[in-house]
Amino acid sequence: MSGLVESTEQAMFLDPAIRDWVLFPITVIMVLVGVFRHQLTILMTGEPPKPDIKDIRQGKALMRGQLLAQNNSYISAPAFVERKKYLCEAYEEGKYLKNKAAKDQSAANLMADPKNMEVMMDGMKKQMMGIVPQTLIMGWIQFFFSGFILIKLPFPLGVRFKQMLQSGIMTPNMDVRWVSSLSWYFINLFGLRGVFSLILGGENSADGTRDMTAMSTMGAMGQQAGQPQDYNKQFLSMKDTLSIVYHEWDLENIEQRVFVKYGKQARLFKSSRK
Amino acid sequence: MLKRSVSQAGDDAWLVYEQIILAALDEGQIDLAKSVLFILDTRFKDSQRVKRLSGLVMEALGHTDEAQTLYTEMLEKDATNVLASKRLIALLKSQGQIPLAIRELVTYLDTHGNDFEAWLELSHLYLSQHLYPQAAFCLEEVILQQPANHYFHLHYAELQYTMGNLDVALKEYLRVVELSTDNVRGFYGVKLTADRLMTESKKGKSSGNKKDQQSNRMDNVPQQATLERLSELATERLVSVYNRASDTSKKTAEKWLKE
Repeated sequence: MSGLVESTEQAMFLDPAIRDWVLFPITVIMVLVGVFRHQLTILMTGEPPKPDIKDIRQGKALMRGQLLAQNNSYISAPAFVERKKYLCEAYEEGKYLKNKAAKDQSAANLMADPKNMEVMMDGMKKQMMGIVPQTLIMGWIQFFFSGFILIKLPFPLGVRFKQMLQSGIMTPNMDVRWVSSLSWYFINLFGLRGVFSLILGGENSADGTRDMTAMSTMGAMGQQAGQPQDYNKQFLSMKDTLSIVYHEWDLENIEQRVFVKYGKQARLFKSSRK
Repeated sequence: MLKRSVSQAGDDAWLVYEQIILAALDEGQIDLAKSVLFILDTRFKDSQRVKRLSGLVMEALGHTDEAQTLYTEMLEKDATNVLASKRLIALLKSQGQIPLAIRELVTYLDTHGNDFEAWLELSHLYLSQHLYPQAAFCLEEVILQQPANHYFHLHYAELQYTMGNLDVALKEYLRVVELSTDNVRGFYGVKLTADRLMTESKKGKSSGNKKDQQSNRMDNVPQQATLERLSELATERLVSVYNRASDTSKKTAEKWLKE
């Protein structure tokens, strides 16, 4: 029995027409679709949405607080206290908030902001553009070429590759080196990245694999990216952070440090210990 | 040949064009700037960046009013345009309307609070109006954002010295020489401030009333011995720096140090 299987494998030859009419067309079409997708993405992604001036102001105000909390030791105590007082009051009043009236409203209302909707729509559009052509090609291959053997790899492989290389074919005894049409599609999907970066340059949107990863992480990411930030809460927490910052002027013992640097004193605080 | 290298550069050429315009305006070659601007204008219609360049050309030609209306239009279209608001402030400054420029710059900084160069510019503007405390505030903001740049510390130290806050000035001068080894301006500052603090505390001892005032105002003054050591250190470093320098500057420095 086993001898029979071997001999049939040895005797199996592929029709050159399969190579000409199935193998090459799949590859060429996948490359073309990739290029087309890249161009379409360029066409469809217009200008990134411009942030409102009040948005910028909001973000920068928060950054200022962070900076003060971080670098407080570089300015003298009176200067620090003055800034701390001002920023804390401003945060409390919501002075830098985009719309002061909505200060007490919950974050859910911020969803109504048309700009947030626009950003979400843009992401959806991009994802759809990735998924639709790939699904179509896969459907096309499965419909017309299901069960086709397209190519024989020139090197031997273990049995474990069977699932990867012969998906769609239910023959347990066939040599793993034969590649089925559906598997050829997947190999192309993941393998064409190098070709695309050659044709279109490094930053291209033709690659289909990115959409795969995007899809799998969508559940986790979508919530974070889609949800607008509640600046009022952030301001208040920044206020708390600032109010507990212990200010220590970095220049308190600068005399000693300079003496040490210029070799007038062996070690820091030596004189004070004596 | 120029044409060929331009086509080779591809999209990078546009950036070079922008630089050419700026350089040409610096050199006063307005015709060159105009011709390059024309190339950019035909390629990028309605570009805010090109518009700002054409505003620059207008300013160079002396049409300040036109430039101003152009910038205001740009800002009306897009209030977040940093380049346009900066040009507007610079325009006011060049026209000598310093108070107006200060007001514009303050509104700009209210939004873009992390632009340390703008804070620096505001401090210069305040200085030109002799508003020292305000300028000091701006410099503190700059230092908060760029704490490792000794030049800003030096600036701040000199400002504090001018304002009479000798204790802060001394500390900041020391910071300068800590950050940048053998900084001559920093050591001059250390010596000046330390000497002045010593004489003032001597004066304070002679009249008790004055001493109270001093201790009220300055609580960060180091001890007398430390001041003396600082002054010595500054002298020593300055001498060694000028020993490496030319003869004339060395003599001048020695003369000053002996006084």
